[in-house]
Amino acid sequence: MSETLHAHVPNSMSLGASKPIRAIAVKDIRDALRDRFILIVTAFLGLAALVALVTGSIALRDDVATYEAAKATLLALGKSANAIKAPEFYPLRLLRGAVEQIEIIGAAIAILIGYRAAASELGRQTLALILTRPMRRWQFAAGKIVAGVGLLAAGLALVLGGLTLVLHLTSGVGLGMDDLIRIALVWGVAMCYNTCFFLTAFILTLQMKQPSHALLVAFAIWLALVLVAPQIGDTLDPDNQVAGGVFKQLNIAKPDQVQIMKGFATFETLRDGIEQASVTKHFERFTFAVLGIKATYAGLPLWPILVEKLGDLIWIVLTALGLGVLALTLRINPDRLAKA
Amino acid sequence: MMAADMSPGLFVASHSVRLVLRERTVALLCGMFAVLVLISAWLGWSATATVNRIYIDAAAFLKAAGQPVPSNPVLDVSPLSLMRNMSVYVALIGALSAIVIGNRLISLDRKAGVLPLIGVRPLSQNAYAGGKIAALVWLILTLGLVAGCVAVATFLMLPAVTLTAAQWGQLTGFMALSMLYMGIFGLAGLAAGAWARSETVGLLLPVTLWLTLTFIFPQLTANLSPTAAINPVSALMNPPDTVFFHWAAQILGPVSLADAYKFAAAGLLDYLPPGTASPSAIPPIATLILAAAGATVLAWRALTGLTMTTGDYDV
Repeated sequence: MSETLHAHVPNSMSLGASKPIRAIAVKDIRDALRDRFILIVTAFLGLAALVALVTGSIALRDDVATYEAAKATLLALGKSANAIKAPEFYPLRLLRGAVEQIEIIGAAIAILIGYRAAASELGRQTLALILTRPMRRWQFAAGKIVAGVGLLAAGLALVLGGLTLVLHLTSGVGLGMDDLIRIALVWGVAMCYNTCFFLTAFILTLQMKQPSHALLVAFAIWLALVLVAPQIGDTLDPDNQVAGGVFKQLNIAKPDQVQIMKGFATFETLRDGIEQASVTKHFERFTFAVLGIKATYAGLPLWPILVEKLGDLIWIVLTALGLGVLALTLRINPDRLAKA
Repeated sequence: MMAADMSPGLFVASHSVRLVLRERTVALLCGMFAVLVLISAWLGWSATATVNRIYIDAAAFLKAAGQPVPSNPVLDVSPLSLMRNMSVYVALIGALSAIVIGNRLISLDRKAGVLPLIGVRPLSQNAYAGGKIAALVWLILTLGLVAGCVAVATFLMLPAVTLTAAQWGQLTGFMALSMLYMGIFGLAGLAAGAWARSETVGLLLPVTLWLTLTFIFPQLTANLSPTAAINPVSALMNPPDTVFFHWAAQILGPVSLADAYKFAAAGLLDYLPPGTASPSAIPPIATLILAAAGATVLAWRALTGLTMTTGDYDV
């Protein structure tokens, strides 16, 4: 590893700030590809997302078949088929499970990439050597971040690209340019979202005394933000407390539901606040709106959705940027160069 | 150094427990688990109280509109179901804490390089393996007892809630089931920690297994999206009535541990909707017992096969 790095790191800072960054980034990407770790975790995420897409498609096919059978029965009886509601088909909605897998497993993978980016130098005792080279410490961190984000971006592009292809070939209606733009947008936001977790693990591993402890703390944060906070918000949703939904069981129509829930404004604010505290929920809200997974956004043009969901997008981008600034400015402690 | 009045296995167990309890990360995860168990009690109470208030408002609304008022869904619910969120936290952070405990029980010895020292002591590898598994069981029992105490305290403190003797028995059964579930992942952590050549791989293998069982298998068996899988009510929705999901549940059910725990916990805590049952070919509790037996065998083999001449990981 270090031979490669020596070949790339310039002896003088006059060669420009980007050269050491590029050298470290290239070295890290080569290392990651060589030990196949990134390929294995990307394949795992791809498999999880593909399973979600395929099972969603099978369930939808069943809905369509049930509708067709019911329609045929009604027509055979000489009745109008308008009595039953046709299942709505928006191909991008089938990406729901895949987006959730990116939200959960993707974030866990980002933590592993961030941990490895920092721990690899500690484990091989090469951090001390690197820091003796003529470069600033922020350049070291920047190189690692560029490589990590690049790997994440490539992995997500592979997964989402593969899913898009499967969706295009199997959905029966094909995907248009608008659909592709929406998927590209989801890719960009997913990259930003996963970068937050990459940076969290990277910072913790560089700053904490024992890398393995840093990994566990990063996973504790992941648990709290990705699983627990959204789960608490979801559980507090009154409609999720009764199988099938409380309003459905009480036969209350949608406009009346809104009217009744006005009396629970404080409760809803608390519930929403818990959800808002998690970057994961912002990612979910943005992507579900853009892909039309949430019913109220299905079929709407992209621009109004983007305008409405700008707050979620800003939250995700600012979290990633804030963590990026922290990673570049926090001092790397030379006393913690040795393997823990 | 070895206490004269203690068997070698017991000595390994008590020493390992002391070492793991000193670990801050283990304390962090176990602390998170305890706090979340407490939160789950509040969540159950708060959500049920909110549904009750919504019903009162809705009933007034329906009466005013001259429509029939259905029965209050809260009255149909057993008080035990207040703790339904605990099953989610056991499946999430309880299982993850157990993996970390299992991993640390072995990785601390490997990292400290003491395996060759232990290897030259008059201590059989069986006693070492037995001691480690006993330490894991002790730690999981402690974690489960903490969760159990929170659950019992919740039921004793809520004035409107009274449990019958049978319901206290069901709650005890649920706690035992939760400890069994955490134990399976703890044993997987122990086995992977002993088997893996690197500390990170030793931790990541059982975490990957946990991710697969918690978020991927429920999609295959019931088309449950990952977020629905961690909602105690949504997770029990009937799978689509298709040949694929029927066979997937039959074939994967016996190894889909998160599904098995979810159904068994819902049955014990009385929130399994009427007419709903696990679609697996093997009953959920039997699935978990078989998995625990398999994980014990795996951990035993990994621990007794551990090379006692090498100290640190090969990194």
